Amino acid sequence: MTRPRRPGRDDDPDRLYTLTGGRSRSDSDAFDLVTLVVSECEPTPGMQSEHVTILRMCQLPTAVVEIAAGLGLPVSIVRIMLSDLLDTGRISARHPRTARVADRLPDPEILEQVLVGLRNL
Amino acid sequence: MSPSSRPTAVALLISLAVTGSLCLWAVVAAPDSVRTALAWGAGATAVVLSAAVAVAVQARANAGRLRARLASETQRFTGEISRLVSASAAEGQRFTAETARIKSAAAAETARLRSAVEAETARLTAQAAAETERLTAETERLRARATRSETERSAAVAACANAAGRMQALATSMLADLRDMEHRHSAEDVLGDLLHLDHRTAQAGRLADSIAVLTGARSGRRWAKPIVMESILRGAMGRISGYQRVRLHSTSDVAVAGHAAEGVMHALAELLDNAANFSPPTAEVHVYVEEVPAGIVLTVEDSGLVMSDVQLRRAERAVSATDQDLTGLSGTRLGLAVVGRLARKHGLTVSFRPSARGGTGALMMLPQELLTRAPVPAPEPARPVSEPEPTHGTAPAGTGTAAVAPDARRPQHAPATAGPATPAPADSTPADSPAAETTGHLPRFGESGLPKRPRGRTLAAAEARAHAHGDGDGAATPRPRTSDPKEQAARFSSFRQAVRPNTPHPEEGNTR
Repeated sequence: MTRPRRPGRDDDPDRLYTLTGGRSRSDSDAFDLVTLVVSECEPTPGMQSEHVTILRMCQLPTAVVEIAAGLGLPVSIVRIMLSDLLDTGRISARHPRTARVADRLPDPEILEQVLVGLRNL
Repeated sequence: MSPSSRPTAVALLISLAVTGSLCLWAVVAAPDSVRTALAWGAGATAVVLSAAVAVAVQARANAGRLRARLASETQRFTGEISRLVSASAAEGQRFTAETARIKSAAAAETARLRSAVEAETARLTAQAAAETERLTAETERLRARATRSETERSAAVAACANAAGRMQALATSMLADLRDMEHRHSAEDVLGDLLHLDHRTAQAGRLADSIAVLTGARSGRRWAKPIVMESILRGAMGRISGYQRVRLHSTSDVAVAGHAAEGVMHALAELLDNAANFSPPTAEVHVYVEEVPAGIVLTVEDSGLVMSDVQLRRAERAVSATDQDLTGLSGTRLGLAVVGRLARKHGLTVSFRPSARGGTGALMMLPQELLTRAPVPAPEPARPVSEPEPTHGTAPAGTGTAAVAPDARRPQHAPATAGPATPAPADSTPADSPAAETTGHLPRFGESGLPKRPRGRTLAAAEARAHAHGDGDGAATPRPRTSDPKEQAARFSSFRQAVRPNTPHPEEGNTR
């Protein structure tokens, strides 16, 4: 049994450019692969189905890359759609605090010990 | 004195003289006593005698004259009669001769005419034969020419159909390649170019589809699954150059059966293309979807040129299901002819009317036979993206129920989707079920907003339904072959039921 959608498999009639109205780059750079997205409202009738799906997926914080995988769409396309949703206030985006995470990285020595311990397992 | 009275006078004189002298003699000779009486008597007798002689002479002369006259008259009569007889005889002869002459002349004329008629007839017959021969030759020549041109035409059409089919195949594979590349290249520049190429290829594919439709080749790709209305609209929109001006208004969750989806998309694309081409380059084209009892009405409205009554009628005729020959085809206006062909093939009804937006509105009705409700979403327990493909047998318990769920859920689901407030049937799926609450176990939604069923699940469900007893997931666990013919037949029929309506063989996928 195959997966329902293999990325890149051409089994849907709608082309990617119709999803974004022909745009290939997003206006905002608010999104990268790991940006967490939370939906702010319920989907409404008449919405583009991808938007509906995104809003449904993002009831809990979800990373952009996961959304892209869930939709089976390229990340760039998903980012454009997320920008649209962000502009209309339907979602909010939150970036993981990578900078402070880097600050809080454990001591390299501890990490080395852990690595040694793992190898000894 | 007349000549006839002259003898009378002479006779009178002579008798007077004779009798006078006799009287005189007598008187002289007679005694004196009787002389006087005698003189009177003799004188009177002499006068009377003379008168009688004169009268007799006169009468005799008259008689002779009359006799002569009678004789002459008689002779004249005879002459006249003989003249008349001879004249009549001559006349009769002349008449006979004339009659004979006329007769002969008539006979001659008749003969001449007859011969002339015969000659004319012969000439005409010969001419007609020659003409017939010429016409036969001409007909033969024309027939040969018609046959040849028919052969040429069918050969040309076949060549066009073949080329169009190959173009279609090429376009389809190019689209697949492009989609593959769009997923592989994440750089925005590259993606933009790929999208551009994608759009161009889709338009080329539509042209190839048009030629294929007009030449009667097989239709384009056949979708293996029902295509939801949103994808139909977007698929149609993506094939025209001005797709960015198209605005879709659809809340319908109806899907079009896979075998007709391509035709519907193509016809709609042609209507959209017409609408976009015949309206100002900045005007929007609106597409509305309306569910009616007979099916679905797609309305394409532009705000461009208003079609006159004549143009509307012409357009209606072009798309009507009766007029299907290629003679009215012009090189640049293929669209409506294509729509007409597709309408006849799939039973679509297309009509035109002036639009409330100021332009023209095109209505296309899809009959109920082409429509299915969106395939009932199996509440598929989501798998992490990277998880290898699980089988039914090894899946968690939820998967096992999902295999039979579609059929069990269908009746409950249909009324739920009829409401206008539920655009996607996913609303009724337990999206908020525990399985969906973690991001790692999202249900897999398609682009249509619907959870998607994996391929082959229908087969499994049908198997499970056919063998209502506890075979469990019969599709996944191979069963020992049975030798019971009835069971084999049942198994085969359930296989056919499972394969035919919705899901083709998994390996076929959406091949054309």
